[in-house]
Amino acid sequence: MKTQSKNLTQREADAFGRELDALRQEVVADLGERDVAHIRQVIRTANRSEAAGRVLLHFGFGPMSFVLGTSALGLSKILENMEIGHNVMHGQYDWTGDPALDSHRYEWDNVCTGDDWRHSHNFEHHTFTNILGKDRDVGYGFLRVAPEQAWRPVHLTQPIVAAFLALFFQWGVGAHDLRIDELFSGKQTPAELGKRARPFLTKAAWQLFKDYVFFPALALGNAPRVFLGNLLANGTRNLWTFGVIFCGHFPEGVRVYDEAETEHETRGQWYVRQLNGSANIEGSRWFHVLTGHLSHQIEHHLFPDIPAARYPEMAPRVQEICTRYGQSYNTGSFQRQLRSVIRKILRLSIPGPKVGQNATQVAAEHAIPVGVSRVDSPVAARATAA
Amino acid sequence: MGAIAEMGRAWASAGRTATQRLFLDRQAEFWLGELDPVRSLGEIRARVVEVIEETADTKTFMLQPNAAWPGHRAGQYTSVEVEIDGVRTRRCYSISSAPGDALVSLTVKRMPGGRVSTWLHAQTRTGHILRLGAPAGDFVLPATIPDKLLLLSGGSGITPVMSMLRDLAARDALHDVVFVHHARSLADVIFGKELTELSARHEGLRLLLCLDDDVSAPRGFDETRFVELAPDFAKRSTFLCGPGPLMDRAAQLWESVGASELLERERFTTALRLVPPVTSPNGVQVRFARSERDVVAEGEGSLLEQLERAGERPAHGCRIGICRTCKCRKQSGTVQNLLTGEVSSEPDQEIQLCISAPRSDLELDL
Repeated sequence: MKTQSKNLTQREADAFGRELDALRQEVVADLGERDVAHIRQVIRTANRSEAAGRVLLHFGFGPMSFVLGTSALGLSKILENMEIGHNVMHGQYDWTGDPALDSHRYEWDNVCTGDDWRHSHNFEHHTFTNILGKDRDVGYGFLRVAPEQAWRPVHLTQPIVAAFLALFFQWGVGAHDLRIDELFSGKQTPAELGKRARPFLTKAAWQLFKDYVFFPALALGNAPRVFLGNLLANGTRNLWTFGVIFCGHFPEGVRVYDEAETEHETRGQWYVRQLNGSANIEGSRWFHVLTGHLSHQIEHHLFPDIPAARYPEMAPRVQEICTRYGQSYNTGSFQRQLRSVIRKILRLSIPGPKVGQNATQVAAEHAIPVGVSRVDSPVAARATAA
Repeated sequence: MGAIAEMGRAWASAGRTATQRLFLDRQAEFWLGELDPVRSLGEIRARVVEVIEETADTKTFMLQPNAAWPGHRAGQYTSVEVEIDGVRTRRCYSISSAPGDALVSLTVKRMPGGRVSTWLHAQTRTGHILRLGAPAGDFVLPATIPDKLLLLSGGSGITPVMSMLRDLAARDALHDVVFVHHARSLADVIFGKELTELSARHEGLRLLLCLDDDVSAPRGFDETRFVELAPDFAKRSTFLCGPGPLMDRAAQLWESVGASELLERERFTTALRLVPPVTSPNGVQVRFARSERDVVAEGEGSLLEQLERAGERPAHGCRIGICRTCKCRKQSGTVQNLLTGEVSSEPDQEIQLCISAPRSDLELDL
């Protein structure tokens, strides 16, 4: 299935962008107590859930308390990584001036360091979203998730590789900014990599110590139980975040861009790319919170620094604007999007299919930059603030 | 001994790293706050124990601070942080209680259009929690109390001076103190009742009120009247706090008799800006080095105001160059101090955003 979005002229794209800017301004002006109350409530829930999980794992006995404890711990890790960590580190709550919600200082319970994340995700991915060769989140450099990516024999193994990535997702995320692949292409020497990897290795060591030595040791006789509970809670969180994130950018209908066609992009065109490079997942209020509102990946990519809990109320407005500009708004149930992603990973593990006409057409149109003011990194400035 | 202390420090530092890396500090802070919102591992917080209406537009907040409060010296101020519609906002207020008092008191005048003072007056009740900063300021009584003292204040400028007076009374050191206070009317004299009681109890305290509604007397600070009231003023160690015009005229008087050395001043409000506003039509590029971002600052006002107009929210407090919350390192570029007119072009200088105006493109360590 190809993207059905109409190709917009620069003028149309800029008008589209102005409408989104107006929506953005409206929400920014309305930010206040309820946004702070929401994130604090989630923090409270996550902390209580963690405490409950640890008590059940450390002092409980029998399978029932083990399952409950592991679930509670997993839930707290999911909330902390998604709705709290990811969103706080985007700078969504910087306007509050609360040091506990400060994007620069926040460190999440995850092997990926906050600093690496702020660079690879907030800056690279959110600025160069879905630009082949620039957004290293497109298949993370080893998966083929778009037919435009050249097929290599190694992609035959990608169904298995993807399954492993799902199980160990936090390690993939953590090592992402190290650009290990650049070692092979000669862009990075082993010495440079070693230096660059130090913060990650330090944090990873502490995380391993925390989950598999410190907390088990505290539990004395219950150590194996705590060890296993932590492992399963981390694994649950890994699978969940993998699922949510893959559904955000890789279902059918999401398009990728090449560098040339985005070179002289205006802010409006940046918005168009963010929209066409993302997909939403439908669900209940709690489902959205558990995904950190990445189920509203479209709104998140349009407005990365607006408190994510605002996305559900912005979504109908965004959708309405998209309809008027003939832009497809990719949304579907979790099942549908996940099936679509799995199908794509399987299909693209073998050569083909031929790249659709749509993309080339757009590329041709963009190839003539007439008097376009160059916008270096439109919202990127904001994104890096995060 | 040194080696043991060294080892102790190393262990403490390792402990801090470990608690941070294991997120135990964050957890502890959360659960402490759940138990009792005034408690915190590091933040100075205080519970409002009582709210006293001093005058029609002034209230005193009696506070019970948590263990993180380091204590203050008479005359110092502290910052108060409140959350107004989700946004943390800070202002500095003088402490009106004496260092030895059981409670810390802040006396706040409601300023027209003042966000924090208005909010404190309207919203703050007994039992509420306020976040405080560490007490600061050099406007303090010296360790050895001078033989002859003069306290000169006007309006809400009485607050730091009151702390000194209370301290002197508590230490039984009110031997020879002249206190000249200016107010609109008797009803506007903050701490009026306590002042009368103090002067009745202590022979060494001479209390002199200058009221604007006294038709036979001049309004505000008047040199002739003042010299009549306190002829030996130039021989007294003087502490001065009040509205700008009062401070300026008093300072001139001291200067004219060559006694400026004995005059200590505390400013509440922005001094007259020496520097004419310079606005460049295109604004200046401000680069935030730490976050690798560029912002255009333009229009009038301080760098802080310009950055805020550009949608930034740098940390700040008093906005008048007192509290130093907004200080940051300027890596390159030129700024001018709006209070002193001093120009800073050297790289790597500390500046305060709220009293600096950009004079070129800048690079800030933010």
